[in-house]
Parts: sequence; C-alpha cells; structure tokens
Amino acid sequence: MRTMIWKKLGRIFDPEQHKLPNSCTQFAQSPQALVFDDFVRIYFSTRAIDPGNGKYLSHIAFVDMQKNLRDVIRVSDKPVIPLGRLGCFDEHGIFPMSVLRHGGAVYGYTCGWNRRVSVSVDTAIGLAISRDNGLTFQRVGDGPVLAASLHEPSLVGDGFVKVIGNVFHMWYIFGTGWKKFSLEAAPDRIYKIGHAISKDGINWVKEEARQIVADRLGKDESQALPTVIEIEGRYHMFFCYRQSFDFRKNKDRGYRIGHAYSDDLMNWTRQDENPLLDVTPGYWDSDMLCYPHAFECDGKVYLLYNGNEFGRHGFGLAVLEK
Amino acid sequence: MFKWKKLGKAFTPQEIGGRSWLKEFAQAPATLIFDDFVRVYFSCRPAADRNGQYVSYSAYVDLDRNDLFKIRQISECPILNLGGLGEFDEFGTYPVSVIRHGDEIRAYYAGWTRCESVPFNVAIGMATSRDDGKTFSRSGNGPILSYSPDEPFVLSGPKIRRFNDVWYLWYIAGRKWKMVSDKAEPVYKIRMASSQDGICWNKLHKDLIVSKVEEDEAQASPDVFFSNGKYHMFFCYRYSSDYRGGKYGYRIGYASSTNLIDWVRDDARAGIDVSDDGWDSQMISYPHVFELDGSIWLAYLGNHVGREGFGLAVLDGRLE
Repeated sequence: MRTMIWKKLGRIFDPEQHKLPNSCTQFAQSPQALVFDDFVRIYFSTRAIDPGNGKYLSHIAFVDMQKNLRDVIRVSDKPVIPLGRLGCFDEHGIFPMSVLRHGGAVYGYTCGWNRRVSVSVDTAIGLAISRDNGLTFQRVGDGPVLAASLHEPSLVGDGFVKVIGNVFHMWYIFGTGWKKFSLEAAPDRIYKIGHAISKDGINWVKEEARQIVADRLGKDESQALPTVIEIEGRYHMFFCYRQSFDFRKNKDRGYRIGHAYSDDLMNWTRQDENPLLDVTPGYWDSDMLCYPHAFECDGKVYLLYNGNEFGRHGFGLAVLEK
Repeated sequence: MFKWKKLGKAFTPQEIGGRSWLKEFAQAPATLIFDDFVRVYFSCRPAADRNGQYVSYSAYVDLDRNDLFKIRQISECPILNLGGLGEFDEFGTYPVSVIRHGDEIRAYYAGWTRCESVPFNVAIGMATSRDDGKTFSRSGNGPILSYSPDEPFVLSGPKIRRFNDVWYLWYIAGRKWKMVSDKAEPVYKIRMASSQDGICWNKLHKDLIVSKVEEDEAQASPDVFFSNGKYHMFFCYRYSSDYRGGKYGYRIGYASSTNLIDWVRDDARAGIDVSDDGWDSQMISYPHVFELDGSIWLAYLGNHVGREGFGLAVLDGRLE
C-alpha cells in the first residue's frame, strides 16, 4: 500500500478554556464530527462530579467550529442528551457518542456506563435520535440496542456506525473478561473490536465475539473506539490499543493509535505504521494517543484524537497527506 | 374456577443438612419427570454474608413418582457454578427452568449481578447437562437473552417450553425501579420470546398480561401449560411496595390463550389462594404446573417467597 502520512495540526480544543454544560470541567474525550455546510459540529464527552460519591459522570457536549477547524463558533450550553434513568445501562455516563445522518435525522449511538459492585462498571450501546440537527437527542428506549451476549460477556461499547449499501455496520468493542493482574490491584478489563450489521439501525446481528483486528501486544491487548472511513476505494479503520494494566500512568503501556484496512469489510489487515500517528515529546500528546475519529471535510481526511490522560486536556487534529 | 387441593409442603430446606450452600429458600420449583421419580429444581441460598447479602444457587430434589412427599435424593452440589468476575451471573443463578433436548438437558436461568445505584441486575443465561440434569455447564460467559430498548434491565424468571417445534421463553422484564422509602424496588412485567434453536431469540416486545392491582404491579413466574386445546398460564403478581408482608404480597393469577400471543387474564379462575394459617398464609407465588400419571399438579411457594420451601397441590378436575 502506498505511504500515507498524518500531519499533526495540534490541539484544537481545550475544555478548560470554555464553559461547559452540566457543570462539567475538564475532559473533552472521544471527539466525533458531524459536518454541516458551513461548520463542523464536534461532539465529545466531558465530566461532572457525582455529588453522591465524588465519582465521575460523563456527559455529551459539542463544539461548533469553522471549517478551518481552528476557530470555535460556540460550545453547547445545554444538555445534548440527559443521562439514563435509575438502574439503566447509561445511568452513570455517556462516553462516547457516535453520530451519523440517516433519513433526515441524526442517529447517536451512545456508550452508556453503569457502575457495578465487584468490578467498576459495565457498558452497553444505546441509540438516541435527533430531529433538530443534533442539538438534542431522544432515546429510542430506556435500554440498549447492543448489550452483552453469550460470548461477549461484558463491556459492549464504543459503537461506531456507518451505512454502506443500505446496511448499517457497527464496529464496537466487547469485553472478553475482567482480570486481576496483581493481588492488590483492582480488576482490569480486556476488550476487543467486533462487528455487527443491521437493516434498521435498531435490531443488530453480531458476529458474536469474532475479534476482527489482530493483536499486536498479545492476548491482553485492549482495543478501543474503532472508526472507519473509505479512502480511495479501501476501508480504513483507526482505533486505539494499549496494555491491559499499568496503562494509566506508564506512558510505555498507554494508548496508541492503531490502523487496519479492508477491501471487503470482513477481513482486516493491521498496519499501525502506515499511516503512523505517534506521540510528540514535550507536547499535549507526549505520553498517550487515544480515541481517534476519522472524517472527511471539503475533500480532506482528518483524524480527531485525544492525547495525554485520556483527553483530560482536550483533543487535537491531524490531516492525511496522501 | 379450578379446584386445587392443597397437599402441603413437600420440601423444607431447613431440614436438609450437610450442604453449606443450602441453608434456606427453595424457590421457583421446576420439574423434570423421570421413570420413577420427579426431579424438582429449585433455587436456594447459603447463609447471608457479613453485609447481609445473599448469593443464590440452583439445585434439585428427587421426589418419588408414586409419592411426591417422599424424598429420594437431594443434589450433593449446586447444578451450576456462579459466573466469573464481572459476569452477569456472578452473584446468583435463580430461577432455573429445564427442558429435554435430545440426549441433553438444557437449563435457562437468571443470572444476578450487583450494581451501585440499584441492588442488582439480572439477565438470562443458558447451560447444558449431559448427565441427566445433575450438573450443567454454561454455554457461554454471557447471557442468551439480554437488554433491549424496551426491556432495559432485570430479565429474569425464565420458563422454557417447546410447542409445535418452536422454542418459547416466557420471562419477566424490568419496567422501572421505583423508590419506596429510600429503597429501589423493581417493577417487572411478563414477556415472551421465540426461537428456532433455543439459542437465537426473537423477542415479542409485548406485555402479555394486563396489570390488575395497580399500574406498577410486578408479575412473575409465567408458567405455561398446554391442555385441552388451549394454553394456560399461571403466574404470580404483587404490589410495588410493602409487598414483603401479607397484604400486598404475591398472589397467583391465571390467563389463557389460543395463540400464545394474546392472553386473557382471569384471576378468578386460578383457584388457589393463601391459606388461613400455616406456611402459605401470607403469600402464595411461583406456580409451576406439571402433569404426572394422569393428574395435573401445581408446585408453588408460600410465605417469604419460598424461604421455608415449596408445596404441592393437585387439580380436582380438568385444566380446560
């Protein structure tokens, strides 16, 4: 395959420079773009503190940017989608939300978080639909459209949806199990990228636990947030991957951006080095690269992504040089 | 109205020794009939942990086919292990419903996990036995029936049946968690799914039984039996609050259908209620109908939802 190069354009959004809805401070995670005629709306997950126990609650917000992807027009000033009801899959956070236009509406596939007792959380994927161009979203129901199943026991999340030839395709992650890597450590999770299809975007058929992207770091590699884009007739998937423990502070074990390509949407060839997006020493993305989102705008292919600390300090942008 | 003759309690877990995992409760009886005994699966609990929390296991007792009040054998260990760390059935396997399938016996069971904001969540798993139902192994680490937009949590109480070569699963799905005196109480309704293979399920997405005592009535144990040209469902229902006592606790209801989809509720026909005194004087719940040697039997729970065991009644007349 010919060489592709990501040219970094730097950090384009710092959450601490803006007032955020839901009393959120810091974090602008997993940016996802919805392109309009004259601006780009970028959804992200930000965090509030749960007054009950001091834990985090993730909320969806957005920033509208000029098409130069440098100048901020405005930041959402009210909730885009409320958190789920008591006991529901998305009660304690929505992170991330993948958006696409379909039939005059905007579909938002949410990754909902709910806290557990023996392990910290579980997740599932919900659907909420916007009929006001993405300002607000309403759930199709209180429950998820994609959840744990026979061979995907937990942590179904990070759904990215694309309609290709009248078929909805979803790439998402599923947990393969929780593991205590040392006696004193809290349980850590391992997840892989899977695939499901649907005729209506609501009822999904999974490939059921087929890991579609090969491991690079061995079986304990965790893979997250797939995003798929067609470039010159070939499908390219970007995602992030890391070791499954000691990944939060240890920059050698934290998230990096991975890449795979496919010509048939079934078989994916992993090729992280082309195009390679790497850390930049001394900058906001010196230790970690995660939560990529690829999109096209005015003929250019861009990649939104988070840097250090899982996006605590915002997100940046790269453009593909072909 | 059906005429059920109560014959008393058939199994009392407190009388059984030597099993640390079976201290109390014998919930949700479900039968599998053998040549000379009736195996009754039930769910039970060891003593509560130091925080007062329970796990639940499923087990069986074999009753003599000629005298169902004669115990022949009790399982030496639970029929199924609890799930692993973070899995849907880490803290309980209750209830269980079994069915023969070729040389195997399949169990559909509700797996319990613990949550932070509400006490628990439940999804339905599947397990298979190749030793006549003594032990089961899980078909996967996750559930076979899980949450969907209209069934957001608490999928429990599976009852597996096969009619006309189609697999049917009756179950309950949570509708809301209702805060009652600072405690989250689940409201759930009776639902159904069908399948060609018992593995890949299509939900009907419909409440089968209209609520009666209140909008937030909770319904459980949808036990379906075909007899005399129609389908009969015995189930139980309760109020959404203060249901642990007698007044608002579980009672047994009844509905019938000719097509498995449209059900007519008519509790007046159920024909079984709480007794004036004794082990089932406050509450009566978790009905299970089975046919044995020409008679129709009903296994059911009494006070405290089966804490002291299950009883039996026999039908006087026909189920029609």
